Parts: sequence; structure tokens; C-alpha cells
Amino acid sequence: MIRNTRMKRFSIVSAVATVGALVFSTLPAQAATPGVSAKEIKLGYSGPLTGSAGLVYGKLPGAMKAYFDHINANGGVYGRKIKLVSRDDKYLPTLAATQTTNLVLNDKVFALVGALGTATHSKAYTAAQLAKNNVPDLFVNTGFSGFANKAKYPTTFTILPSYAMEAKIMAKFIKDTPTLAPQASFLIAQDDEFGVDGVNGFALAGHKFTAAPTLYPQGALTPALAEGALTKLSAVPGKPVLVLFGTTDSTATILKAAEKLSLTTKFNWIAGSVGGDANTLLALGVKPSTINGALAASFFPDAKDATDPYVSEFMKINSKYNKGVSFDNVVLQGMNSAMLTVQALRAAGKNLTRAGLISAIESKGADFASAGLVPLNYSGTSRVGYNGYWFGQLNEKGELKPFGGKLTVYTTDSSSNSAPTASSYERKPVPKNGVPTNS
Amino acid sequence: MLEFFTAVLTSLSTGAIYALMSTALVLVWRSTRVINFAQAGQAVLSTYIGYEVTTRSGSYWIGFIGAVLSGAIIGAGIDRFFMRPIFKRVKSGPIVMIAPVVATLGLLGIIQAIVGFVWGLNYLTIAAPVSTEGLKVFGSVIAFSPFNLMVLISVTLSMILLTILFQKTNLGLALRASAYSPEIAKLSGIKVEAIRTIGWALAGAAGGLAGMLYVPGSYLYPNSMEVLLVFGFIAAVIGGLDSLFGAVAGAMILGFAINFSTTYISYKLVFPTAFVILILVLLIKPGGVFSSKKGRKD
Amino acid sequence: MVKISTNRKRTLAFVLLGWVLLIISDRVGELRQYQGSFVAMYALAIASIILLTGYSGQLSLGHSALMAVGAYAGALSINNLKLHPALALIVAALIAGIFGLLLGFTVARLSGPYLAGTTLALAVSLPTVANQFPILGGEQGIIFDIGTPPSRFGEDFSQYKWFFWISALAALITIWMLSNLLASRYGRVFRALRDNSVAAQLSGINVGRLKAIAFSISSGIAGLAGGLLVMLISGVSPSAFPLSLSFALLTGAVVTGVYNLKGVMLGGLVLVAIPEIAESVVSRIGGSEGFTTTLPGFMVSALLILAVLFTPNGPGQLLHHHKKKH
Repeated sequence: MIRNTRMKRFSIVSAVATVGALVFSTLPAQAATPGVSAKEIKLGYSGPLTGSAGLVYGKLPGAMKAYFDHINANGGVYGRKIKLVSRDDKYLPTLAATQTTNLVLNDKVFALVGALGTATHSKAYTAAQLAKNNVPDLFVNTGFSGFANKAKYPTTFTILPSYAMEAKIMAKFIKDTPTLAPQASFLIAQDDEFGVDGVNGFALAGHKFTAAPTLYPQGALTPALAEGALTKLSAVPGKPVLVLFGTTDSTATILKAAEKLSLTTKFNWIAGSVGGDANTLLALGVKPSTINGALAASFFPDAKDATDPYVSEFMKINSKYNKGVSFDNVVLQGMNSAMLTVQALRAAGKNLTRAGLISAIESKGADFASAGLVPLNYSGTSRVGYNGYWFGQLNEKGELKPFGGKLTVYTTDSSSNSAPTASSYERKPVPKNGVPTNS
Repeated sequence: MLEFFTAVLTSLSTGAIYALMSTALVLVWRSTRVINFAQAGQAVLSTYIGYEVTTRSGSYWIGFIGAVLSGAIIGAGIDRFFMRPIFKRVKSGPIVMIAPVVATLGLLGIIQAIVGFVWGLNYLTIAAPVSTEGLKVFGSVIAFSPFNLMVLISVTLSMILLTILFQKTNLGLALRASAYSPEIAKLSGIKVEAIRTIGWALAGAAGGLAGMLYVPGSYLYPNSMEVLLVFGFIAAVIGGLDSLFGAVAGAMILGFAINFSTTYISYKLVFPTAFVILILVLLIKPGGVFSSKKGRKD
Repeated sequence: MVKISTNRKRTLAFVLLGWVLLIISDRVGELRQYQGSFVAMYALAIASIILLTGYSGQLSLGHSALMAVGAYAGALSINNLKLHPALALIVAALIAGIFGLLLGFTVARLSGPYLAGTTLALAVSLPTVANQFPILGGEQGIIFDIGTPPSRFGEDFSQYKWFFWISALAALITIWMLSNLLASRYGRVFRALRDNSVAAQLSGINVGRLKAIAFSISSGIAGLAGGLLVMLISGVSPSAFPLSLSFALLTGAVVTGVYNLKGVMLGGLVLVAIPEIAESVVSRIGGSEGFTTTLPGFMVSALLILAVLFTPNGPGQLLHHHKKKH
């Protein structure tokens, strides 16, 4: 009997604790437009800040914030300062769902910007009811082409070209390059969205690898595995094409295995845009002589090229507002997304609404100034950002120079119907001091 | 043939690193009956210290000593100031099985947060002290470098030292006695608590050693030893948890199984191989392949 | 005086609790409703750990994988078999239970660390397995859509409230069933098993079989919790079930007290609340970027250690001590 009263007391205690915690809450005040006041625009970011993915992408929100600080110091957007709230989802879907819901319901952000990760953001989008609340979901950083589906993600605008586009263009590049076309070709890829979408993209383009792709589990490519994979390929005659579709640390592990086995000049290396960041490769201990000559795909200018007007403007902002952070592809990507965001906010006008922001990007987004060497494809029907790549060759300093000395940009889509074509896109000049003045 | 040869060599170098982690886990398990998940944190912290010493002194070897020593000190400190108070409060029932495990997980989180705060969330590297280029055998370069050889020699040496310590010294006798039966050991005048701390120190040193041997071939970041810990634990379970020899053998079994299944079947099989091997070992010999006593079955 | 049997009292308590939760769900905002659904889901998952560890003396590090089994089973039965969502959640529990039974007969007879090792290996192999079968959707995963709330509840009835109702109801019913089971003969046998398995064996209990059964029931409950989890995040993918989820459940069980099924709500609350509190503290005090990104992890871990140090047997123990003093 005593036992039961005690149990009952526990149940009461736990019930009271639950009630207490739940009641300490406030009903959300329904403002006309959440996250916008006369003085401030609140934006939200959910992505990995810690954990293994945080190592690679943790710099992204800091870069965006640095750019917004620069804009705020220059009068903000029509007098409103931009505030960015970042939440860490550790690259886990559950956290992405709760953090994004928190951004919408608790932080009451006006829009989301730069969300990163496919498996995470696709769930967060539904869980946080972004469609129902018409929360703009700007410049999503994933290569998953599904986000461009306006029916399913009505408030989303993608920015990165899809992995499938990348694979299609790579296949075209291999076919068009006389030194690569006749060689045997192989693919070593991460057994996740990068790798699998890449494999599918090559299949769409009709490219046949000499052997079935080598897929390794994410985060488990040990030096031993990489050495085993390269040993298998070492007997292939000629100078085979070896495509690497994975994160930069995996690319580095494979290149280091090649150094160990004296196979660095055995292959024509092609690194995907996700895993080909030269700065990171060098920082991870890959020898400069190894990356020299490696091919890599990109849609941005080289982050090391200080002569590029966008890069040099962003570098200035980075050294002023993002102290101690080295400028690389991720920082470039963050600043570029932030600059697009500012242009979108300006284009939406002084009377800022969520619907107004979305239609502003649809009608004017294709004309925004952007660092990309590839056009933006926003329109009333298209939510696709960049849709192409150019190919470059790395030198010993890790600079990416156009392959064959001449910049050729290919554009395509994620489906099978169209072959990649060469593009003659000319970028808009960088806004003065990096501060857009569009309307 | 080259493929087979490579698979054998890479299995050995992979297994050697697993062996250090599994040995560390077994040392703690024997003395304290705890699965120490903080081992990944201890190893990473002492490796960061090794990195710092290496960078400042310019010598890998001074960093190496720094990592091993700091590993031992951290291990002893954790036992003395962290585990002991917990065991004072948690004495009997299923909670004994779960609370210390949860405590070590908490400790892992704390160490990773501190390391991330002090050294930042970047990949760091430590240059190997000897060449990492593969040796040339009959005209072809194999996936075995002088550094791999150094790893194998270091692991073998430390295992020999550990065996001598356990089999030939009074301290070893005390360590074995307190692992076998703490009560009897206490009655025969052994300072069981101090002996336990020594077990933790040895484990910590093994973790520091593992880090300094692993990182030059890989990278250093707050989570960099987590996967190793998982494999080390699986290896320790395969080996029987109570036996140091079993820990090394389990690590080698795991190293060979993973490298051969990935070389000859599919690279996707890294983790499933570990699972299947573990199930097979436990099914075929539930009494323990290398276990010194019947511990794995009720 | 009318005598009410213990079983009836328990049922009454659950009905009362359900009614209180119902009222609360009407008074709080959408975010709290959403968080409340997570509390219920975690409470259920923690209950599965408590059954396994506190009542049959086994340690699992792979409950995240068992949750995943349930989650995938549930998602497939909605997407491919077009089952009603309520039925899909039952399927989730059943399939995970069967999976647990198979695994249980293989490994549940193993003692503590061996079972822990096997379940850990299972948890880390899961993503690879999920990537092998196209029907499971690879890394991206597949959707789990429970549908909008029935229109008869009115326009103001939010999706989050619907989530909360489903989660809370599932948790209440399951935990009610579980506490009835534990109050029965089986509960006594389980406890005998936990406290002294040798004695239990001598008195004619088939220890191996009972442990397997306990493992199976625990898996089934975990599978249901997994189904609820992916309902809340609208989809299932391998990365939704990291090893850290298994560890979080152990934490919740320790905070609850492993013997104390009635405290699971508190355990769930702690799992949801602590990261929230840590983040709001961090955003309030601010500081350098390295500091603000590492502090939440630090705080969660520190609270965990404090919980183990000061209330290793759960908050119930504190009350117990308190009462003794009087």
C-alpha cells in the first residue's frame, strides 16, 4: 500500500512538473509581418555549427552575419538593420526540425536564409510549416534538386546547382576533352546524397564508368580503405580518369593515399565542387605537388583570386567583420547568399511582407548581382539558382585556373532531356563597396 | 596478389590502432567494470596536448611523450576525482550498469566542448616523424610505409611492456588480483583504489598513444576518435573484455574482417562487417574466445 | 468506503493525466504543443529503456536502431500499403517487436557489456543498411505524413496540437499497458531476474527466454516511439537515428531513475528542455563564436553529470530520502 501511494505521488509530481513547464509559455502574438519592425529585419539560419559537418560548414552563418554587419554599418536595408539568428542542428534531422520550428515560432524570424543539408532541411521544411506560414526559405545550400519543386516547397529558392547537374556536366567535360575521353574512368563516392545523386547524374548523361562506382560510408573512409581502393586501380593501363564525389576530408584522404602509393600522377583527378576546396586540401596536409594539375568543378570564381572584383570586395568585408576567419569557398558562399538576400529585401520594397519578398525574387532575382560565373534562373516558374559549372585546373598554390586557359561555362538542368550547353553569361559588376542599391 | 598483400598490410595497421583503443577499454573494464566512453575524449584531449607540444617544440617525439604522459595523468585524474565520487553514490542494482556509462558519456561531451573551445572546430594535422611513402617491393609500391611500420612496432612494444608489467611485477600481480576479486585483494593488503587509478592511468596513456599514432595518417578534431572508440569497443567485446590478449586479438580480427570484406566485396560493408563478426563470435563461442573467465553469459 | 483495486486506481490516474494534458494542450502556444509531443515521444522511448534496464537488467546502446526499424516500418505502411496512420503506428511497434525478438533470442542472453557492444554495432551499421534498399530512400529517406487534423476539430486546431494529441495518447496507453504488465506476475519475475538471475534460474525461470521477451517488448515500445519521432519531423532517414539518440535515452532513463516508470514524463521533459535552456542562456550572455557554439554541449553534459552524481536513482530517490527524515 505504501508503495502505491508513493507511486501515485511520483505520478503527481511528474504531472505537475510537466504542467508547470508547459504553462510557462506565452501565446504567440500575431503581428502583421513577423520578424519585421521599423528598425529591424530578423532572419534565421539552421545548419551544423558543431560536429563533423560543422567543421566544414560552420563558417557559413558567420560569413553571412559579417556581410549583414557591413550592410548595417552602411544604413541597413531602407533603414532597417538585419539580424541573423543561427541555430545549431548538428546535421541531424530531428534537431533541424525543432530548431527551424523554434526560429519560426520562438524567434519569429521573417525568413530563413542559407539552410544547409538535404536530409535535414527537407524534414525541417514540413515540420516548421514553412509552406503554411509562407515563410520565405532563401538560397538553400544543398545539391538536392527536389527543393526546386515549387508545388512541394512553395517558398523555397535553391542556390547551388544540383549534384545531378554537376555529374552531367562532368560527363560532358570528359567526353569533350581529348586527353580524358579515351581513358578508363572510375568513380569513388560517398554512400549518401552526394555520391548517389552523382552516380545517377552520370547515368543520366549516358556516361559509363569502367567499373562499378566505389561507394564508402560517410565518415568512415580510413586511409587503409583509400589505399586499398587505389591499389585496385593501380594496374589499369594509361592515365585513368578518377572522379571523387565526397566531402573535402575524404578527397584529402584519397589524395594522401595516392601520395603514399606514388600514384599521384597515375590518374587524371577530378574533384566534385563539394570536395575540391584547395585551401582545405592543403590545410589537411595534401602536398601542393599532388593537387597541381587536378581538375575541379566550380560555379564561383576561385576564392583565392583577389583580382576578382567580387572576391576582393568580400575579402575586405571578411577582414573587417569576420576577424580571424580565413577566406575560402564557404565564406564566399555565405557572403554571396547574404548579398543576394539584401538585394531581395530591397527589391521587395519598403513595405516588407513575406509574399512580397517571394514575388520580388521571382520577378527580379535573375538580375541580382552575384559572384557566380553562372546565371541565376529565378522566375515565376523556376526556383533554381545556379545551373552550371566551369572546369578549372588547380596549381601548386591551390589556385583554380580555367582549364585550357579559357573559361568555359556549361549550363544544364537536373533531368535527362537536355544535354549541357556552353553559356555566354556575363556577370553584373559588383555593387560599389559591396552595398547593393537595387530596388 | 598485390591486392591481397595490401589487404593484409592495411589490416595490420588498422588493427594495431583498434588494439590500443580496445586495450584501453579493457584496462578500465577490468579495474572498474565500466565501459568508458570518455576514452574517446581522453584520447583526443591528450592528442591535442601532443599536438600543442609538437608545434611548440618542433619535435614529434617530445609531443609523443607529452601525449602519453598527459593521457596517463588525465586518466588517473578522472578515476580519482570523477569516477570515485560516482561509485560512492551508485552502489547496487541495474543503476550500476547504466549510471557510470552515462557519466562517462557526459564527460565525453564536456571534454569535446572544452577541446572545441580551446583549439577551435578545425581539422588539424600532425606531421609524421618518418616517411609516409609506401615501401617498394619487387618494383611496385605497397600500401605500407615506414610510418606504418613505426605504428606496428610501437603497438607491439607497448603490448610487450604491458604484458611484462602484468605478468612479472608485483604491481601487475596487484592489478590482476584486484581485477579478479577486489574483496580478496583488499583483504590481502592491496590498496585496491590506488591500483584502480593505475589501471585508468595506463588506459589513458594507451589513448594518448593511439592518438599520436592515428592522427598523422588522418586528422585531429574534437570528434576524431569517436569511430575508433566504437571499433575499439567492438574489438574488446569480441576479445572477451577481460583479457588484454583478447583485446589485441579482437582488434586484429576486426581489422582483417573489415579490410578483407571491403577489398573483396564492397566498401559499404565497414560497419555491417563489424556487426556480423561480433554476432558470429558471440554465437559460436558464447563462453568467450579469449575471455579469462565466464563473464559474458549469465 | 468503497474499495478500489490498485489496477483501477492506476487506470483512473492515467485517465486523469490524459484529461489534464488535453486541457493544457488547449492553453499553450504551438511551439509548446510541438515540444510537448516530443516530451511524450521521449517519455515512451525512455519507458522502453526502463523496462529493459530497470526491470530485466539488460543494457542496450542500440535503441536508436530499434526506433529506426519501427519508423521505417510505419512509413512504408503509410506510403506503400496505404494503411491508416494509426494502424501504421501499431505496425511500427509490431515490426520492431518482432525484430527485437529475433535479435533477443540471439543476444539477449548475453550479460551487460556484451549486449551493449552488439547493440552498439547494430546502431552504427544502420545507415549503411538503409542505403542498400532503394525502397528506404537512401540518405534522403522517405516521408512520414500523418495527415492534417480531422476537419471536425475546426480550423483553429493546429497540426502541432494534432501531433501532441497523437503522441500523448500513444504514450499514455502504452505506458498504462506497461505498468499493468509490470504489476502482474511478469513484473515480479522480471524483478527477480534483475536482482538475482542465478536464483531466478534455480527457481525454474527460463532466464534466456524471459530476457528475450523483455527485449522484444522493449523493442516494440521503442519502435512505436520511433514512429512518433518521424511523424514529428515528417520523414524518416538514417541520420535521424544517430548513436547520440541511444545515449540520450539512457540519459533520460538515469534522470528518471531506472526503476521508476512513473517518472518517464520528467525524463522526456528534461531531454527537450535542457538543450532549449542551454541555448537561451547562451543567446542571452553572448560571447565569442567559439564560446557560443561549444557552450550548449558543455551545459547539457554538465547537467547530465550532476544528475548522475546527485540523483543516480532518479528524483524519486530524493523524495524518498526526504520522507525518511520526517
